[in-house]
Amino acid sequence: MSGTSKPEFIQPPSTLKDKVAITNDGVDLDALEQAELLIAGMQGSYLEWVEEDLKKIYALYAQAQQETGSRKPVFKDIFSVAHDVKGQGGSFNYPLMTIIGNLLCRFLERLEAEDTEPKDSHMAVVKVHIDAMRLVISQRMEGEGGRAGDNLVRGLNAALSKIQPPKDPAKS
Amino acid sequence: MSGYNLERLNFLVVDDNKHMRALVKTILHALGSKNVHEAADGADAFKELRHFPADIIICDWNMSPLDGLDFVRLVRTGKDSPNPFVPIIMLTGHTEMHRVIEARDAGVHEFLAKPISAKGLYSRVKSIIERPRPFIRAGLYFGPDRRRRQIDWKGSERRKNSMEMIPSKSAASAAPADEGGLSQAEVEALLNG
Repeated sequence: MSGTSKPEFIQPPSTLKDKVAITNDGVDLDALEQAELLIAGMQGSYLEWVEEDLKKIYALYAQAQQETGSRKPVFKDIFSVAHDVKGQGGSFNYPLMTIIGNLLCRFLERLEAEDTEPKDSHMAVVKVHIDAMRLVISQRMEGEGGRAGDNLVRGLNAALSKIQPPKDPAKS
Repeated sequence: MSGYNLERLNFLVVDDNKHMRALVKTILHALGSKNVHEAADGADAFKELRHFPADIIICDWNMSPLDGLDFVRLVRTGKDSPNPFVPIIMLTGHTEMHRVIEARDAGVHEFLAKPISAKGLYSRVKSIIERPRPFIRAGLYFGPDRRRRQIDWKGSERRKNSMEMIPSKSAASAAPADEGGLSQAEVEALLNG
């Protein structure tokens, strides 16, 4: 790699300003509010999508339970669905789904990074996250979910720290 | 009130999740865009680019067989790339610092953390419109200038030094769970140089 060579600056042949004008019907605060309302109006569709995802992730969990060989490939698929759940919940006023999806993703990432073969105790942690997500959707726990939402997240964190104690920064 | 009219802009939305594509498309249409094409992965998107002159690409990270980063590299440096200069917004749930830097070093213009909102997406599009950046070819890198503001800095190179302390992908992947994701504001601060 020619790390010491002088950088060459190149002007792109066109910029977006050539195609974008400021007009009275352009994007203003009202248009943004309207767009946010449109997203809020998609909440019904979101609930259908996420229910599909929850069925999928539960089926993967059941598959992992039956697995006689390594559970790692199924855990990758579980991660993929959890990642989708994490990425969508907050857009439709279900930030708890994003929080729970994130906790599950980070747990699975750590297992993968440590090259750990998923054991029954790990399966139990996956299960509580799936159950928590199903509860949020079945109870329509929008927003932060109030006290029940707090308790849910606290419970998941407790389950996680039991199986994966936080690393002692003094030792790392 | 007035604002940017996005009617003439061509958007290409690349995400393997059809629901995410639907959400992004809905937002873009609500903001006045008429031409929004979609692709389900990087390979499809690259094919689409051959006949669709996208002005902005909004691209997810996690896709297969060609993921978002590979796609960005292909667009920037592929010999048969239809438009190596096209602005790319990386849309992803991965907001850990090493990932943001990895995306920036692949040649993305903007980074938008999921879950997304109309305001968040528009602010990234607006940023691309208002702050066009020159491209740089330096070593193996080809992409938008990673330092958006040119300052004749006389002080110590704290950013450079801190970048050197950021673990490489392989080292960082040993303990990803210890890293918290960055907020959108932190991502912006990092990308703004």
